[in-house]
Amino acid sequence: MKSDQLILNNPQSSPADLAKSKKKKMNAKMMAYYLMVIPAALLFFAFHTFPAIQGIYYSFTNWNGINLDYDFVGFKNYINLFKDTAVRDSYLFTFKFAIFAGVLVNIISLAVAIGLNAKIKGRNFFRAVYFLPNILSVLIVGFIFNFVFTSIIPNLGEKYQIEFLTENILGNANLAWIGILIVFIWQSCAFNVILYLSGLQTVPTELYEASGLDGANRWQQFWKITFPVIAPFFTINMVLAMKNALMVFDQIVAMTGGGPGTVTTSISYLIYTGGLAGGEFAFQSANGVIYFIVIVAISVFQLKVLQKREMDM
Amino acid sequence: MKKTVSLLAASVLSISLLAGCGSGENAGGADNGKVKIEFFHYKREAMDTFDKLIEKFEKENPNIDIEQASPPDAGTVIKTRVSKGDLPDIISIGGDMGYNELSKAGVFTDLSKDKVLEKVQPAYIQMLKDITGQEKIYAVPFAANAVGVIYNKAIFNELGLEVPKTWDEFVALSETIQKAGKIPFYHTYKDAWTLLPSFNALAANTQGADFYEQLNKGEVLAGKRYKEAVEKMVVLSKYGHKNQQGVAYNDGNTAFANGESAMYLQGIWAIPEIKKANPDIELGVFPFPATNNPDEIKVISGVDLLYGLSAKSEHPKEAKKFIEFMLQDENAKQYIEEQNAFSALKGIAQDNPTVADLNVMMENGSVTDFPDHYIPTGVYPDKTLQTLVQDKDVDAALEKIQKDWEKVQSRK
Repeated sequence: MKSDQLILNNPQSSPADLAKSKKKKMNAKMMAYYLMVIPAALLFFAFHTFPAIQGIYYSFTNWNGINLDYDFVGFKNYINLFKDTAVRDSYLFTFKFAIFAGVLVNIISLAVAIGLNAKIKGRNFFRAVYFLPNILSVLIVGFIFNFVFTSIIPNLGEKYQIEFLTENILGNANLAWIGILIVFIWQSCAFNVILYLSGLQTVPTELYEASGLDGANRWQQFWKITFPVIAPFFTINMVLAMKNALMVFDQIVAMTGGGPGTVTTSISYLIYTGGLAGGEFAFQSANGVIYFIVIVAISVFQLKVLQKREMDM
Repeated sequence: MKKTVSLLAASVLSISLLAGCGSGENAGGADNGKVKIEFFHYKREAMDTFDKLIEKFEKENPNIDIEQASPPDAGTVIKTRVSKGDLPDIISIGGDMGYNELSKAGVFTDLSKDKVLEKVQPAYIQMLKDITGQEKIYAVPFAANAVGVIYNKAIFNELGLEVPKTWDEFVALSETIQKAGKIPFYHTYKDAWTLLPSFNALAANTQGADFYEQLNKGEVLAGKRYKEAVEKMVVLSKYGHKNQQGVAYNDGNTAFANGESAMYLQGIWAIPEIKKANPDIELGVFPFPATNNPDEIKVISGVDLLYGLSAKSEHPKEAKKFIEFMLQDENAKQYIEEQNAFSALKGIAQDNPTVADLNVMMENGSVTDFPDHYIPTGVYPDKTLQTLVQDKDVDAALEKIQKDWEKVQSRK
């Protein structure tokens, strides 16, 4: 057989031969693409999808995580989930946390991004500084803030006679969640700032100049020009911030252990402690399935609402 | 040329991936003819002591390599390893619910007929049977702990205080200390589990003698029988300090070591930690005066450390050798001296003057196991107590414990 290259380059090749060689060339290319993707897909399936499916499987059993045998119990775990007060409280806490965190993270990161977009001195330096929290380990940051809240702030409160600072906020059943919120926002903003920054840079500067000539002030410029143009970035930031806030875990491990009592026990924390230490493996697997559905539902809802808004803009 | 270079680079990178896998494999098996044993335990405070003993063992047995593993939250870690099927050769935890669950899961080798058990005091062997409800023994009890009240002898001398023998004397003593401007107890309520030692001491002595009997019949009496213990927890919470909700175990150990409070409600396992922070402190431990009948008060003592042999160990003989080594008199004595524990073995006394006040009770056998070893996991009494000492609502706490216990019971 003549080589495909020769056939393709030869202006006198028959149409049938040309077609065959082109297909072969296309197939060779496709093979390369498949070879690049398949290993990654296999790993993803093995370490992500397969365990998830296993989890769904276990949620229909009564396995406690270490026994050698278990029975199938059908939907019993799911029914018990809806009756369980600990589960209900964890969902309520997580939703409350997610709403506050989602909104505050976006407001603060947008504000910071606008600041970092302006022509300030040392702009690159500040951008690096504001991005730093993102590369730190979430758990370590939690432990350090735990120390700050437990020892450093009460000492400052005592020294400068500021009453409300003298107690560890993390030990207060009503305010512990605020401690977690502060640390979460501090670290999450970094990533959202980057997204907003890239969004802000897509706004054509001529629009600002033109509107400035027409007499628009900063506030009007923001609402009528900036905000509508960065609408897609706003969408993605809201969805990501909400999702991360719903999955809050590391800070709770490092700072409050779900306490005092169970007031800062988030859904993921309950699944972890109940499922592994608490011996409720199958029950918490069912909780995990519901958790997944909830997060997907909320994210899809957000996308639909916000993308419609983008269209309207 | 470029193609060759990039091909070489790609293959080097992929081979380095495999190198990571390779070294991981060797860790479990034999290495240069040496047998590697993994010794997994939950006593992070004892890692130094174990290092010394392991060194001694390895000198006597040059072909055995013992690797110590003590991660934080070891109780949870061992459970995850069990579900993965990755078992260490020797598993050392306490005689608690975890031991019960692991025994039922078939993790341990049955040691009931093993002659190592002959060295152990019968009271502690009985405890293991009580916890699992079975006649078979799956581990060797090694060290026992005790819960009393740790006190700072210097502060007691300064204020001219005497060790209290009854509950009323205990409360009066705390009043005196508080009026003198000092902190009676350095509570560490941020760590929920630190509420358990005092709760255990109170509940064991006030819950009624037939509590466990009724429990075995399926009757959960916690809501009623824990009332006195819960009320006394509220009383104790009044004699703490301003930031007691916000400080944790480690903060408490350091603060008490630095003389910030007169007493510390912890088990004797905390003593090595306190001494680390302040080696010069003079400590004593007196039995927890849970009631006004000092003759009936029992000291809470449980199996603090046991040695379990994994049923799936590849080197059971060598692992057994290490366990037998640890059970030798001089090694057992070294452990209890350095860790301020009591020995579960026959004939090994704890001479440390710090715990001398407890010795009488331990020798009499006036001991009883931790009530929370019988509370099923999933009830979380420590978290309920954490809420209790903040809002002081006795009825709510009792109701919650009762409900949670029934809920877990019904799930089985």
